[in-house]
Amino acid sequence: MAGRRRARDTGRPGVLWAVPGLLFFGLFAAAPMVLVAWLSFTSWDGLSAPAWSGTENWTRLWSDPAMHRALRLSLLLTLLSWLFQTPVALLLGVWSAGRQRSRAVLSAVFFLPLLASSVALALVWRSILDPNFGLAADVARWLELGDANVLGSQRGALLAVAFVAAWQFVPFHALLYQGGARQVPRSLYDAASIDGAGTVRQFFAVTLPQLRNTVVTSSVLMVVGSLTYFETVLILTGGGPGSATTIVPYLMYETGFRAFDLGYASAVATSLVVVATGVSLLMVRLTGFGRMRSTREGM
Amino acid sequence: MPFDLHPRLRTPATALAGAALLAGTLAACGSGGPSRAQTLEVWTYQDASTHIQAEAVERFNETSDVQLELVEIPGANYQERMRTAMGTPNAPDIFFNWGSGSISDFVQQDMLVDLTDTLAETEELRDAFVPTVLAAAEIDGGVYGVPMRGVQPVILFHNTELFEQIGAEPPTTWEEMEELIEVFQAEDITPVALGGADAWTSLMWLEYLLDRTGGAGVWQRIESGESEAWGDPAVVSSAQTALDLIEDGAFGSTFLSNAYTNDGVSTYFAQGRAAMHLMGSWEYGGQLANAEEFARERLGYGTFPVISDGAGEASSIVGNPNNYWSVNAELEGEQLDAALEFLKHTTDDAYLSALVANGDIPGTVGVDDRLDDHPDPEFARFQYELITEAAAFTQSWDQALPNRAATEMMNAVDDLFSGGLTAEEFADTLRGVS
Amino acid sequence: MKTVPPATARPASRHRPLWRRANIPAGAGAALWLAIVLIPLYILVSATLRTREDYLERGAFAWPTSPSVESYRRVLAGDFLTYLLNTVVVTAACAALVVVLAVTVAYSVVRTRNEASRRVFQLFLLGLAIPSQAVIIPVYLIITELNFYDTLAAVILPTAAFALPVGVLILVGTMRDIDEETYESMALDGAGPLRTLLNLTVPMSRAGIATVGVFSALQAWNGFLFPFLLTQSRDTRVLTLGLYDYVGEFRVDVPALLAAVVLSVVPIFAAYLLARRQLVNGLMGVGGR
Repeated sequence: MAGRRRARDTGRPGVLWAVPGLLFFGLFAAAPMVLVAWLSFTSWDGLSAPAWSGTENWTRLWSDPAMHRALRLSLLLTLLSWLFQTPVALLLGVWSAGRQRSRAVLSAVFFLPLLASSVALALVWRSILDPNFGLAADVARWLELGDANVLGSQRGALLAVAFVAAWQFVPFHALLYQGGARQVPRSLYDAASIDGAGTVRQFFAVTLPQLRNTVVTSSVLMVVGSLTYFETVLILTGGGPGSATTIVPYLMYETGFRAFDLGYASAVATSLVVVATGVSLLMVRLTGFGRMRSTREGM
Repeated sequence: MPFDLHPRLRTPATALAGAALLAGTLAACGSGGPSRAQTLEVWTYQDASTHIQAEAVERFNETSDVQLELVEIPGANYQERMRTAMGTPNAPDIFFNWGSGSISDFVQQDMLVDLTDTLAETEELRDAFVPTVLAAAEIDGGVYGVPMRGVQPVILFHNTELFEQIGAEPPTTWEEMEELIEVFQAEDITPVALGGADAWTSLMWLEYLLDRTGGAGVWQRIESGESEAWGDPAVVSSAQTALDLIEDGAFGSTFLSNAYTNDGVSTYFAQGRAAMHLMGSWEYGGQLANAEEFARERLGYGTFPVISDGAGEASSIVGNPNNYWSVNAELEGEQLDAALEFLKHTTDDAYLSALVANGDIPGTVGVDDRLDDHPDPEFARFQYELITEAAAFTQSWDQALPNRAATEMMNAVDDLFSGGLTAEEFADTLRGVS
Repeated sequence: MKTVPPATARPASRHRPLWRRANIPAGAGAALWLAIVLIPLYILVSATLRTREDYLERGAFAWPTSPSVESYRRVLAGDFLTYLLNTVVVTAACAALVVVLAVTVAYSVVRTRNEASRRVFQLFLLGLAIPSQAVIIPVYLIITELNFYDTLAAVILPTAAFALPVGVLILVGTMRDIDEETYESMALDGAGPLRTLLNLTVPMSRAGIATVGVFSALQAWNGFLFPFLLTQSRDTRVLTLGLYDYVGEFRVDVPALLAAVVLSVVPIFAAYLLARRQLVNGLMGVGGR
C-alpha cells in the first residue's frame, strides 16, 4: 500500500501552487478587509496620513441618526427586493422550466436585462422616469395622475430603486429556479396528479418543497446583493430626495468620497462587511457549500 | 516598474502589500504609475465653455517645451473626483476649482503653490483682477488661484412671453413674488423652475433668502467659522420662506425629481412651462446652445426681489466670483515655471475675447470695454453692473465651505426641501457645521 | 449550475390537459413580465433612432417615424472607441488573470490533500462574502500607494481579485469531477504536477474554465465602482464610467445617451448570441458573488 500511495502523490501539486492566487487575492481583497477595519479607528481626510483616533468613529456610528436611517433603509430595500423578486422569479423560473419551444424563446428575452451593466440600466430607467420628458410623464398624463414625481417622492424613489433592482436581477433568480425546477423528479408530479392535485396544489405540494434549497440560495444572494446596492442609487436618485434612498453603501460613498471623512466611512464600510459576512456564512451553512467535497478525495 | 511609496504613508500593511506585489504576483500587469513627466496635466470641468481652455492649452503648447494636457472631467461630481485625485501621486498639476472651501483642505496641507509673489511680480497678472473676484482664492493670507472663467452671479431669469401674457413685470419685492406665484399657478404654469434633484440649485434660494432677510453678514459669520451663526433667526426665517414657497406650489410638484445637470430644468423652462428660473449666469450660455430662439427672444433676467423688512441690500448678489486655476506644489523647476507661465495667459487678449464671446464676464479690471463683443451686450452690461455695484457678493455656500462641512450642509438643504426637516430642525442640524 | 434532464424525456405526456390549463395563469403572468421587460428595451432602442428635438416633443414612447443614426454617429465621433478599447483591455486582462490564478489555486486545493489546502479553500469561500463596495476605501489606499491610481491596472487588479473566489469555487467543483484513476495513470507515467495540470486537468476542466473566463470578463465589462473611484482621465476611462459621464456631456440629449448605452451592450449581446451557454453559466457565477 505504501508504494501505491507514493505513486499517487508524485503527480500532486503542493499547496505552493495556490500561493500566487493567494497573494493576489490577499493583496487586493483580504488585506483591504484588514485595512478597512484598521482605518475605522483612524481619522483620515485622504490628504494627510490616517491618524489613530481610537473608538471615536465607532461611538459616533453607534449614535449617528444618518447611519440608523441608512441601515433602516437598507433593510427596507432588502425586504422590498425579497418580497418582490422572489415570487416573480420563482413563478417565472418554474414556468420557464417547461421545455416548450415558446418558453425557451421567451426565457431568452427575459434574460436580456442581465447582460447590461447596472450603470447602463440605471441610465435607461432614469430617462424613463424623468418627470417631464420620460415615459413616466406620458403615463402620468394618460392616467391623469397629475405628475410623474416618482423619483422626487420619498416612497416613490425607494420603490423605484427596488423596482429597477428587480427588473435587473429577477432574470438571474429565475434562472436559478429554472435549474432547480428541472431537477424535480417527474414522478412526484405524476404521483400528485394521481392523487387529484391541481396545478396550484402541485406547485405548493411538490414544486415549492423541492425548491427549498434553491429558495435559500436565491434569497441569501438577494439579501447580500441588496445590502451592497450602489450604482443604481448613485445614478437614479443620488441618495435622494433628501436622504430617502441613502442606503448604507451610498452613505459610505458620500461620507468617504464627498465629505472625505474616510475614517468614519471605513467604520460604515466595516459594519457593511460584518453584515454581509454574517449573511454569507449563513449561506455557506444553509446550502452546504462547505460540505461540497467530493468523496473521491477521501476527505 | 517604478515603485515608490507615497511618503505620507508607509504603514506595515501597505508595505507588505507592496512587497507581495513586487514578489512577482503580477509584475507584467499594469504600466506602472506615471512619474512626473514633461507633460503637465491640466484638469478642467467639462461643459459648453471648455473649448476656451482647450484653445488656451493649444496656444500654450505651441510655444513651450513643457507640454500641457487638458483633462476634461464632466458631470456633477467634479469636486469629488478632483479631491479624490489630489490624495494620490497622480494628482493634477494645474486644476480648475472654485477657490475657498474647494481648495482650503489642500492649502492646509501645503499642497498648492502660493501665487502671492507671482501675482505681484508678473506684469500680466499684477492688478489685473477685480479684488472681490480674487478674494475667493485668498486663503490664510496667501493667494492660491488665478481667475480663469467668468464671474457667475446667480440671476432670476424669466420668460418674457409668459410675463406679457399675464400682463406683469418681473418681481422686485417679495410681495410681488408671492402674487406672481398665485397668478401663474392659476394659469397652469409652474411659477418657478427648480432642479431640486441637484441640491445646489435649491441652495441658491436659501442663499438669496438669507441674504435678503438677514443681510450678507450672517453668512460671513458662518463662513469665517462661527458655526453658531446658523442659529441666527434669519436662518430659520429664510428656511421657512423656502418651505412656504414649496407649500404654495411655487416650484410645481415635481421639482424634487427635476435635475439641472442633465438640462432637464432648463429645457422645461425653455419650453415655456415655467415662468422663472433662479440660476447662475451660465444658464444664458446653456440656453443659447440648446434653445437659441428662446434665449434670444424670450429669456429675461433680473435681480432677486427685496424682502421688505429684511436687513439685506437690494444690490447684493450670490454666486461664484469665478473659477480658478491652482497649481500643485509638487511642481518644481522648469515645470513650475511652465505652469506659472500658463497662468499668465488667463489675462491675454485672445483668452479674454474668447470668454466674452462665449457669454462670460471675465473677472479682470477694465472688462467693460469688451462687453460689446458679448453675444448679448445688453445682458453683459446687466451682469457687469450687477457685479460692480453689488453691496456684497456672497460665494455659493457649497463652494465656500470645506468638503466635509459642505456635504453636511448640502444634505441638510436636501432634507429641508424634500420635507425631512422643519426650518428649526434645519438650523439646529447645521449648528456646529462650518 | 448543472441542469439534469428530467427522467422522462418528453414532457407533458400523460397529463397534458392539466399542464395545458396550467399555462393560462402562468402564461398571463409571463406575458405581463414580458411587457415589463420589453417596454424599456423598446424605448432604449427606438429613442436612439430619433432626434433630440423629436424625443423632447413627442415623448419617450413615440415610434421613430424618420429613423436616423445621427445619435450613434455622435457617440462614435466622441471618445467612445477609446472607452471601448480600454474596456476590452481591462476585460481581457481580468479574464486571463482570473483563469490562470483560479486554475492554479483550484488545482492545488483539489489535488493537495492536507490541512493547508483545506484552509486555502475556506479562505476563498470566505472571500465570496467580501463586498467590493465595503473595501473600496482601503483598495483606493493600496492602489494609490502602488502608484496605480488612474491607470488601467487600478481597475484590472481589484476587479480580478474580487472575481477570483467565484472562479476558484467553480473550478474546484469542476476539477473534483475528474477521475482519480486518470490521475493515477498519469502519475504512473511519471508526470509531474505541471504536466498533469496541462495535459489532464486543464483539458478536462475546459467547461469550467470557460465559465470562469466568461464570468470574470462580464465582471470586468460591467464593473463600475473601481473605475469610478480609481481612474479619472479620458485615457483610462472604461465604458461604464464613460456612460456615467455622458450624462454630464449629452445632458438632455437622451437619444445620444441611450445610443451610448446600446453600443456598450452590443458586444455582450453578440457574445450572448454566439455562446449562450457559457454566458449563462458565467452569469450564474456573477450571482454567486
